[in-house]
Amino acid sequence: MKGSPAEVALSVGILGIGVATAVATSRLPGEGGYAGIGPNFMPGVVAAGLIVCGLWLLFEVFTGGWRSRPPDDAAERGEHAFHAPGFLWVTAGLFAHMVLIGHAGFVIAGAALFTGVARGFGSQRPARDAAFGVVMAVAVFLFFVRFLNVNLPAGWLKPLLGAAGT
Amino acid sequence: VEVFDALLAGFGVALKPINLLWGFIGVTLGTAVGVLPGVGPALTVAMLLPLTVKLDPTGALILFAGIYYGAMFGGSTTTILLNTPGESASIATALEGNRMAKAGRAGPALSTAAIGSFVAGTIATVLLTLLAPLVVNAALKFGPAEYFALMVFAFTTVAAVLGESTVRGLTSLFLGLLLGLVGIDGQTGSPRFAFGVPELLDGVDVVVLAVGLFAVGEALYVAAYQSRLTARLEALTGSIMMTREDWKRSWPAWLRGTAFGFPFGSIPAGGAEIPTFLSYAAEKKLSKHPEEFGKGAIEGVAGPEAANNASATGTLVPLLTLGIPTSATAAILLGAFQNYGIQPGPLLFQSQSELVWGLIASLYVGNVILLILNLPLIGIWVKVLQIPRDMLYAAILVFATLGAYSLHQSWVDLLTLYVFGLLGFAMRRWGIPVGPAVIGLILGPLAETQFRRALSISQGDASVFFTQPISASFLALTAVVIVVPWVWRRVMHLHLRRLPEHAE
Repeated sequence: MKGSPAEVALSVGILGIGVATAVATSRLPGEGGYAGIGPNFMPGVVAAGLIVCGLWLLFEVFTGGWRSRPPDDAAERGEHAFHAPGFLWVTAGLFAHMVLIGHAGFVIAGAALFTGVARGFGSQRPARDAAFGVVMAVAVFLFFVRFLNVNLPAGWLKPLLGAAGT
Repeated sequence: VEVFDALLAGFGVALKPINLLWGFIGVTLGTAVGVLPGVGPALTVAMLLPLTVKLDPTGALILFAGIYYGAMFGGSTTTILLNTPGESASIATALEGNRMAKAGRAGPALSTAAIGSFVAGTIATVLLTLLAPLVVNAALKFGPAEYFALMVFAFTTVAAVLGESTVRGLTSLFLGLLLGLVGIDGQTGSPRFAFGVPELLDGVDVVVLAVGLFAVGEALYVAAYQSRLTARLEALTGSIMMTREDWKRSWPAWLRGTAFGFPFGSIPAGGAEIPTFLSYAAEKKLSKHPEEFGKGAIEGVAGPEAANNASATGTLVPLLTLGIPTSATAAILLGAFQNYGIQPGPLLFQSQSELVWGLIASLYVGNVILLILNLPLIGIWVKVLQIPRDMLYAAILVFATLGAYSLHQSWVDLLTLYVFGLLGFAMRRWGIPVGPAVIGLILGPLAETQFRRALSISQGDASVFFTQPISASFLALTAVVIVVPWVWRRVMHLHLRRLPEHAE
C-alpha cells in the first residue's frame, strides 16, 4: 500500500456515504406512476455512483496512491506545515457566531466571529479586532435592515439599535 | 433582423438610468470584491447575492452581469500584483503578469489585461448575440429525453474530462448530486434525505454550498497552511499606459485569445483552464520574442486574459439558451435566476424576451463601464489589496455567514455552512475539484426532472434515450469524450515507452 492514511480515510468516507445513501434510499417510496420510476430512483443512482467512486479511490490507494494530487510536503506546495491554532481559532469564531446570533444578535455574534478569525490569521490584538468587528457588523446590520429590509436579529443590543431588526 | 430588433429593445432596457446605475454598482462591487485575494468570481457572485433580494428581476440580473464581469477583472489585478492565482484559469496570467510587475511594468500588464478583457468581452458578446437565437431555435425542438442526454454530456465533461483526476471529479459531482436530492421531491412531494430537519426540507441552497466551499473552506485552509507566510505585493510604479510596441504585441494576442476562449466557454464543456493554456502556448510559439516568456512577456498576459474573459461570456450561451450551467459561477448565477422563479432556457427567450435581451445588452454596457471605470480607479484597487489579511478574512466571513443565516434565520444553516467549509478544506488539500459539486447541486434536480418526464412520456420505456436521434447523438458524444482521452493517454504512454530518452 502506498497511499497516505488520509487517502484511506477519505476513500472509505466516500464509500461510507455511498452505503449510507443506499440504506436511506431503500426506505424511500418507489412507485412512480407513468414513468415507472419513483423518488427513489435517482438516489439509487447517486448511491451507486458514490460506492463506485469510493471503491475506485481505494483501488488507487492500493496501487500507488491517488494519482497526481497535491504533494503532502507543505514546502513543495509553497506553504507551511499545518498550523492547528489557525484552523481552530477560525473554527471557534464560526461556532461562537452560530451560538450567539440567535440570542445576542447579529452585531455581537459578528464581532465574536471577526475576532476569532483575525486571531486565526495571526492577529495578537483581540481588543482592536473586536472593536473593528463591532463597527463592521453595525454598518452591515444597518445597511441590510434599513436599506435592504432584510431581517437580522438585534438581540441584546436592541435598545441601542432601535426598532430595526427582529 | 429579428435579432437586431430584439437587441435594440434590450438596449432600451439596459440604458434606462436605473438599470445603468445597477450596472455601475455591479461592476464596481464585483471588482472591489473580486480583487480581494482568495475571492474568485464564484464566491464574489455568491456573497453578493443577498444584496439583490429587493430588486426587480431585470435590475437584479443586470447587477449580476456587472458583478460577474467586475469579479473577472478584479481577479486579474490581484494575480498581476500579488501572484496568487485565485483559480487555475489565471495561472498563465500569473506567470507573465507578475513577472512584468516585478520588472516595474505592472501598469502595462494591468492595461493589456483590462483592454484585452474589453475587446474579448465585446467580441464574445457579439458572438453570443448571433449564436443565442440559433441555439434557441434548435433547443425548442428538444424534449425531455434530449435535455437529459445533454445534461449527462455536461456532467461528464465537467467532472470526468476536465481536471486532473477522473475519479476525483466524479466523486465531487456525485457529492453535489447527493446534496441536490436533499429536500422535497418535486414530482411526488415526498421528502428525501431531510431527516426531519425543517431547514433541510427546502433543499440545500447553492449560496450555502458555494460560500461554504469557497469562503469558509478557503479561510480554514489559508489559516492552516498559509497564514504565517507573507505575500509580496508588487508596487504600481510608472505609467499605466502601454507603449506603441505593447499595443502592437497585444492586439493579435487579444484576438487569438478570444478565438480560443469563446468556443470552449459556449460548448457545454465550459471551464476557462484549457483555452487560457492553449492561448498561452500559442502566444509563446508565435511570438517574435520567445525568450521573454517566463520573464514577463506582454503577449502572455494579453492572450490568456482575453481567453479567460471570452470563455466567461461563452458560458452564458448554454446558461441562457439551454439553462445548463457549465462552471461553478454559472451554476450560482442559475441559482440567482431560480430565486426569481426564472428558469433560463429557450422558452425564456419567448416568454420574457425583454428581460433576456436586456441582460445581453447590459453585457455590452458592462464591458464599457468596466473599461471606463477600472483603469482610472486602479489606485483604489491597489489600496484594497493592502488590507491586512487577518482583517480581510475576518470581514469576508462576517459577510459570508450573513447570506446563509438570512435564508431561514436559523443557526442550522450556519452549521451546514461549517460542514461545507470542512468539506472544502479537505477537497482543496487532497486535490478534489469543487466545481463539479456546485454544478451537480444545481443541475442534478433539473436532470432528474427531465429524466422522469421523458420516461413518463414513453410509459417507462428507457430505450427512448437511445432511439431519439438527438438524444442518442449526445450520449454517443459523451462516450467519445470519455473514451478518446483515455485511449490517447494509453497511446502516448506506449509511444513514450518506445522513446526511452523521453521517458520520465
